Amino acid sequence: MTSKSGLGTRDSGLGARYTAAMHLLLVGISHKTAPVELRERIDFHTRGLDVAVRELAPRLAAGEAVVLSTCNRAELYAASDQIDRARNELVTFISEYHGVDRTALTSHVYELTDVDAVRHLFRVAAGLDSLVVGEPQILGQVKEAYAAAADVRAVGPVLNRLFHSSFGVGKRVRTETGLGSGAVSVSFAAASLARKIFGDLKGRSVVVVGAGEMGKLTAMHMKSQGVQHVTIVSRTMSHAARTAEAIGGANAAPWDDLDAALAGSDIVISATGAAAPILTKARIEGVMRPRRGRALFIIDIALPRDVEPAAGEIEQVFLYNIDDLQAVVAENVARRSSEIARAEAIVAEEVEKFAGWLRSRGAIPTVVALRQRFEAIRRSELERLEFKLSALPPEARSRVDEITRLIVEKLLHTPTEQLKALGDPDTVGTYSEAITRLFALGEDRDAGSASPGEGEDRRRENRRVEPFARPKNRTGN
Amino acid sequence: MNFVPFAFYAAAMVAYALHFARRQSMIGRTATTLLVFAALAHTFVIGMQTMDVGHVPFANATAATSTFVLLLALAYLYVEMTTDERAMGVFILPLLAGLQAIPALKPGHEERAALLSGPMFNVHVSSLLFAYASFALACVIGITYVLLFKEIKAKHLGFFYARLPSLQVLDSMNQKAIVVGWVFLTIGLVVGAIWTGQVRGTAPGDPRVQAMSLQDPKILVALVSWAIYSFEAFAARRIGWGGRRTAYLSALGFAFVLLNLVPISYFLTRSHDF
Repeated sequence: MTSKSGLGTRDSGLGARYTAAMHLLLVGISHKTAPVELRERIDFHTRGLDVAVRELAPRLAAGEAVVLSTCNRAELYAASDQIDRARNELVTFISEYHGVDRTALTSHVYELTDVDAVRHLFRVAAGLDSLVVGEPQILGQVKEAYAAAADVRAVGPVLNRLFHSSFGVGKRVRTETGLGSGAVSVSFAAASLARKIFGDLKGRSVVVVGAGEMGKLTAMHMKSQGVQHVTIVSRTMSHAARTAEAIGGANAAPWDDLDAALAGSDIVISATGAAAPILTKARIEGVMRPRRGRALFIIDIALPRDVEPAAGEIEQVFLYNIDDLQAVVAENVARRSSEIARAEAIVAEEVEKFAGWLRSRGAIPTVVALRQRFEAIRRSELERLEFKLSALPPEARSRVDEITRLIVEKLLHTPTEQLKALGDPDTVGTYSEAITRLFALGEDRDAGSASPGEGEDRRRENRRVEPFARPKNRTGN
Repeated sequence: MNFVPFAFYAAAMVAYALHFARRQSMIGRTATTLLVFAALAHTFVIGMQTMDVGHVPFANATAATSTFVLLLALAYLYVEMTTDERAMGVFILPLLAGLQAIPALKPGHEERAALLSGPMFNVHVSSLLFAYASFALACVIGITYVLLFKEIKAKHLGFFYARLPSLQVLDSMNQKAIVVGWVFLTIGLVVGAIWTGQVRGTAPGDPRVQAMSLQDPKILVALVSWAIYSFEAFAARRIGWGGRRTAYLSALGFAFVLLNLVPISYFLTRSHDF
């Protein structure tokens, strides 16, 4: 993290406990870096995400960890103040947990820190890093990964904020760009078309003509999208019955009842092996007449085609064959890729926001040190006056304690807020250093004898503080 | 005074168009907020005029247009909030801004003759304005239906496919708007006819009353639109005129309504020249 340059590197006099800012770390493999054989072996889902994260968290020095695992990626996110150690621990964990040789891993593993790790997670959540760009499942998987880690209390303030921000990024990209819009598989395209025609698919009925595999799969997909009634019509009743049973909760109807079944349906999936069209324009016109303008969506996925193309001319008949659906899919894929730039812009914007927050955390060690310093002074002063205070009744003594505490709180409130609000890392560094010097935060000694030794300490430390020190000395003289 | 709501409507129109094109939820919320402000400002303006003249100002064509715009804005906001669907705004707002330009540019004088006061007249005008607002919504919904229908039919799933709700939703929204509009249109016409009968007795010499017959364009066109909407609301679906045909009917009906609301009111009618 950038705050490091401002806080830790310039002054060796600063104690480690004041400079230890939290860093983000990501170690992972994905479809971009590893072959499927390796990805299969490093699937954290096999033993459960919660098991993995519960095993990982105690190994880490600073204990913030999330395990993200999908069929295309396995990534460990961690927040730690000892970045090199954590990096090593994460790789070791992957190799030990899955019993994969470390040397076999190294060429496939990527490691990202801080803002780069943030950007990576945001891109993942947005679907930009997916195999099928914009696919919608990934955001759910990121949420699942976070939930598993949160359940075992493996997340702290940094990863908590990071993952919640990533959910926001995923949502923004989905609502503000077309990246996730448009189905990119034929059965999704058919279902989304059906939804655009009928609205909610609940309560709609589907007729599948033909008992083949393609028709069955499309019908199952429709069922998973909420369609209520599925009827299979086949020339051989026993085939229809078998397919209906395979789908589960579907009916079979004899071939002679085809027209009746069509008349009562909303969606027709035709997938027979017939050589000539079964559903001619005239036949569908006959079916449509008693429907009084109720829409009929016909999906012809058979080759050669089952439905006469002219049937699509009938008012309220929407006819799509397999080529049409594939053209829709191709268009969607093209449209998605044109939306990538907009999605990347959203990611960049959100990374900037998060980086700002991360930077503001860069001031936290200074804030903590400052507070500790003030508290130490308060305590030592109270101890120094102990012999005078001891005469007071206990209530009055606790009142004195309370009042001094409040004064310190009030004095520190504004500088704390100002420090946290600083944006760019260089300013944070400069301010932190100035405060460190002004209040001698780096000195690892007790603040008890603060007033007499102060002048000497300052002079020894840095010239920059002299302009502030001199007038004070002058007025003192 | 009508300029402030007009400015808000115009701003909301731009925001809705931007939202439609870019689909950013922030812009969408801004658009809705602007429209809410437009409606509030407009309600205030009409409220002030009501206090000023002692009744809701719709006894002249300009004021009636203004009241119609407010009713349409409120009806649209109701639809938007109940369906959570902003896509229609891009079609409604030009109508709102365009019609509101009339009172903003050419404020009318609300001077109501004694003849035109009384509850019957108020019911007549307000229910007709409300009916027209419903029909305006139905027309816009119908247009969007046709746009989406054509895209799906032509297998070019593009701009509207990505932005509009489903055909089914559009169709049922259209039907609701038509039925509500038809009810108010019928009430307005019946009350108007009864009222005409009454004033014939009390003020037979008034030139407006004398012109109140089927030959008057305003009355004739109102009856034509009533016939169109009656057919659409009750007969069309029974004879299999679903979907696209009823959508076209909504547009046709509203063309008559708009004809009645603006050009006929200003130039042609003698019975409704207030």
